[in-house]
Amino acid sequence: MTTVKFTLNGKKVTLETDISRRFLDVLRNDLNQTGPKEGCGEGECGACAVLLDGHSVNSCLLPLAYVHNKEVMTIEGYAETERYKVLEEAFIHEGSVQCGICIPGMMIAAESLLNQNPNPSETSIRHSLSGNLCRCTGYNMIVKAIQRAAQRGKGLW
Amino acid sequence: MKDISKSVEKIDAKEKISGRMKYVSDYKMDDMLYAKTVRSTQCHAKIKAIHLPELPKGYYTVDYRDIPGENFVKMIFEDWPVFAEETVNYIGEPILLVVGKDKAVIQSIIRDITIDYEPLKPTFEYTKSEVHYHYTKGNPKPIFDKHNQHIEYTYKTGYQEQAYIEPQGFIAYLEGERIVLEGSIQAPYYVKNAVVNTMACEADAIRVIQTTVGGAFGGKEEFPSVMGCQLAVAVHKIKQPIKLIYEREEDMEVTTKRHPSKIVMTAAIDSNQKIAGLHARVALDGGAYVGLSSVVLSRAMIAATNAYTIDHLDIEGDVYRTHTVPNGAFRGFGAPQMIFAIEMFMHHIAHTLKIDPFAFRMNHLAKQGDLTSTSGTFRDPILMPEMIKKACDISNYHEKVKTYSDPKVRKGIGMSWFFHGCGFTGSGEAKHINAKVKLKKDDQDVVHLLIAAVDMGQGAKTTLMKVASHVLEIPLSQIRYANPDTDEVPDSGPTVASRTAMIVGGLVARASKQLKAKWAKGKEVVVYEQYQQPDYVKWDEETFTGDAYPAYSWGVNIVEVEVDKATYEVDVKKCWSVYDIGKSLDDLVVLGQADGGAAQGIAYGYLEVMNHKDGKIQQKNMTDYIIPTAVDMAQTETHFIENPFALGPYGAKGAGELTLVGGAPAVALAIEMAINKHITKIPVTPEFIMELMQNDDR
Amino acid sequence: MVKHYLPSSFQEALEIKHQEDVMLIAGGTDLMVQHRTWSELPPQFDKPLLFLFNLAELKYIKKDANTLYIGSMTDLETLLYHNDTPPCLKDIIALMASPAIRYVCTLAGNIVNASPAADSLLALYALDAKLVLTSLKEERIVSIESFITGPRQTIIKSNEIIKEIQLPHQPFNRVHFKKIGGRKSDAISKLAFLGLANVNQDHQIDTFRIVLNAVAPTLIRLHETERTVEGLSLEAFKHQKDALLEAYNTAIKPIDDQRSNRTYRRQAALNLIRQFIETL
Repeated sequence: MTTVKFTLNGKKVTLETDISRRFLDVLRNDLNQTGPKEGCGEGECGACAVLLDGHSVNSCLLPLAYVHNKEVMTIEGYAETERYKVLEEAFIHEGSVQCGICIPGMMIAAESLLNQNPNPSETSIRHSLSGNLCRCTGYNMIVKAIQRAAQRGKGLW
Repeated sequence: MKDISKSVEKIDAKEKISGRMKYVSDYKMDDMLYAKTVRSTQCHAKIKAIHLPELPKGYYTVDYRDIPGENFVKMIFEDWPVFAEETVNYIGEPILLVVGKDKAVIQSIIRDITIDYEPLKPTFEYTKSEVHYHYTKGNPKPIFDKHNQHIEYTYKTGYQEQAYIEPQGFIAYLEGERIVLEGSIQAPYYVKNAVVNTMACEADAIRVIQTTVGGAFGGKEEFPSVMGCQLAVAVHKIKQPIKLIYEREEDMEVTTKRHPSKIVMTAAIDSNQKIAGLHARVALDGGAYVGLSSVVLSRAMIAATNAYTIDHLDIEGDVYRTHTVPNGAFRGFGAPQMIFAIEMFMHHIAHTLKIDPFAFRMNHLAKQGDLTSTSGTFRDPILMPEMIKKACDISNYHEKVKTYSDPKVRKGIGMSWFFHGCGFTGSGEAKHINAKVKLKKDDQDVVHLLIAAVDMGQGAKTTLMKVASHVLEIPLSQIRYANPDTDEVPDSGPTVASRTAMIVGGLVARASKQLKAKWAKGKEVVVYEQYQQPDYVKWDEETFTGDAYPAYSWGVNIVEVEVDKATYEVDVKKCWSVYDIGKSLDDLVVLGQADGGAAQGIAYGYLEVMNHKDGKIQQKNMTDYIIPTAVDMAQTETHFIENPFALGPYGAKGAGELTLVGGAPAVALAIEMAINKHITKIPVTPEFIMELMQNDDR
Repeated sequence: MVKHYLPSSFQEALEIKHQEDVMLIAGGTDLMVQHRTWSELPPQFDKPLLFLFNLAELKYIKKDANTLYIGSMTDLETLLYHNDTPPCLKDIIALMASPAIRYVCTLAGNIVNASPAADSLLALYALDAKLVLTSLKEERIVSIESFITGPRQTIIKSNEIIKEIQLPHQPFNRVHFKKIGGRKSDAISKLAFLGLANVNQDHQIDTFRIVLNAVAPTLIRLHETERTVEGLSLEAFKHQKDALLEAYNTAIKPIDDQRSNRTYRRQAALNLIRQFIETL
């Protein structure tokens, strides 16, 4: 047992548990955050994505050890932000959501991109989503939503 | 009134975007146990002995001996065991479940289980036919005798994995004496009926509830019945809630896939350079158990002439048993294989005859009033000439064909034409499904759609609620459509076969009309509707004669590619599509179907590789089984031409599968043009392109 | 339960590594996959883990007149956007995995993983990377090529940790990187090619490098072959095309696997080499 301390959605968390555990399991089982989903368990699909210090990471690959002293935001926390609302509107407007299992991860990837680059090209958007698989939409309507959010969210990122 | 096609906010979008939507893996119950499946490591063997370790208290195994009823999963063909008994027939076949509270303990029990096998000789070839169908149209034999110019090509297609992002899963528990199953499924009543059979119980002893589905594409049509039966047996034995969620690798290795196929096409050509007769022999690899492969075969065979009219046909097909994972439903359901074959064949005939493929195809295009492949009638207007013109115009097709015909240019453009029959094949809707819907208005004047149709992402909730809202002239906020629960909803059939919008939607529209007539403010009103086959639809199941479908949706895909000279990689530049789906029930919903279908259909043609080696699936995770990313997916331009179908709600026909079936031939034809070689096999991988290009220099 | 270590300094990590047989874990993007068991269970390792990724003192990119120094726990996203990262390495990283993986994936992890299909190794081989291996008592510097001895095999000792990767500055005015994966992004290489050259004002080839992955048990770089063309005029160089192709054709030994086959790997590799030679 090692003590791990981090911030989850703005609140301090201290855990004593096996630090090799997948952060995804800790989030879902210990911290009741079920927004991150397990789609593949090997870092391919991105359904488990969360923000680590503002950057998208796959929580299914992340040992709990590595969130020590870091800031984590899950989709649950992100949903409380102004930026989220802009992306949410855009995803609805473009009809980007089908089965929805990949969408929280897509939102996290979009935030991570816009955080780094508020005016991304279509190519950068596509590359920023390369670790988020979607089998329903063919991606184009998601790409359009991120373009729309970048346009309408001026100043927020 | 507003145009129903105008998009609204998707009913479940906010819940899904925010991560609040619960999928089955998010469910938890008190005293919940976990199950894990012990599977065959052999592709064909006799089980000589199973050695179990001593089980700690609270840990169980469940196998075929625990089944109260019959040990097969009731689908169409009754050959698929719930648990293997004496023999195993594919790698990954379930033998038993280990159930208990702590996953680590379950793991260690499984590590200590040993199974002695006596290997048997496996079959991987198309040799053992389990289902054979044959039909004719016109008089093919004399036609083939008379016209002695025969052209023959053989086409092959590979596996395709549904690769829904949410793996298969269920949670099951007791409610009194009754067994409740909640899971990620497309067909609540398929699961219920299969479980009733396996448990040898009364129908009301089983309750099935659909959880929000994270993608299905056919993969959650019949396969969940296998898991449902196993879990019901386990819950019956152990009497505690049990959760069974597949790991990704397990899901990819053992669940149903699109059937690999081999299709031999022979055409008799007349003196006007038209196809006088067509002979097709379709072989599907059914895998170890037939399941519903026979229905996949019939849809493939009926699509033999695709969007063309050919007067004399001799069509045969077989489902072959092999010692591989059973294949099953996948969006398109036999049509993608056949439409690939016929679209390539039309081009290959034209090349052989040294005539323009476009003109050759136009000469054969089906028209309203023509007889279908099964001698039924295309009753409704066919707008293909207009759709083809539109697709050619927006893509600059004809100009590009000229430019790209230069052998030095490694670019190509390919066009596919296709249709998809809406609803179950043949007498399926009337004889086997007989869909019912129920609408209930409660005393608060809220209308509940009580139907078994599943929203698996395709937008069924949004579109069907819109239908009710438009007929009843009430806002969407006054309508509820919960995930189906067999205790609450009648059997409106499975959510498959491009039937939901047209058939179930049609019933919802009729029921809404009835409800409107009986509307009594502040009082509960319940109405029912049941499917009635239109009088003119006649079908003979034995001879494959008559109207195989009540209606057809139509489409054109054009795909442009560039092939890398050094690496033979295919770069898909753009995809243009024009569809006739009758009438869109929501423009964004159908656009989503179009984009997603194109992604899957095109990738089936050039990107997605799955094969087995001695019965073992080689690409069994998301790293090795390649599906497109956002970078791979080309831009799309999609148009819908209105052509309302009298019996569909507001004129709607099916849209779900149509958008997939033309992708593979369009991309394969584009690659064919780019490399100037005939393509007879998909996926057209860089490895295959290299092989083709090395065969002879052009 | 196995005890794992989350050291707060490099010194502490070296001490633990010295005393106990522990497994080092950098970003974990490979190890966490290789050792996973069942969803919700911890990954299964037969040794305690020593987590290095959070060691801030191993996250740096610095340079002097001759060399670029990369701290071993620098993540790939940082390298991708850093001004001093050599262009060929940036090209490679941009097509590795996905942004989410790159953020927790390190060069050192790639190196120790020693996969024949590792993309980052293309640049490290081509740029003559050196590794600083540190243990509690000593430090040694080895070349990347002597470090990796086979697929997933290296010469690292049980008490050593990679502290730093050193890249000597070398000018190249011709850079050609091509990765062939199963798709355009987020894919493991079927094979990948890196060709580098420096052509001087007199149209002579000063330096020439070709590195290939996934066509042999370790990455392929043929030093002697490179030397045969260095110093040649471009004109003379073009006459060496067949000899060069023959040298690489002899050296590569591709295999069939679930991602591709040997015939394709060989042909595509030779095509890429030919293309690079012809466009020089």
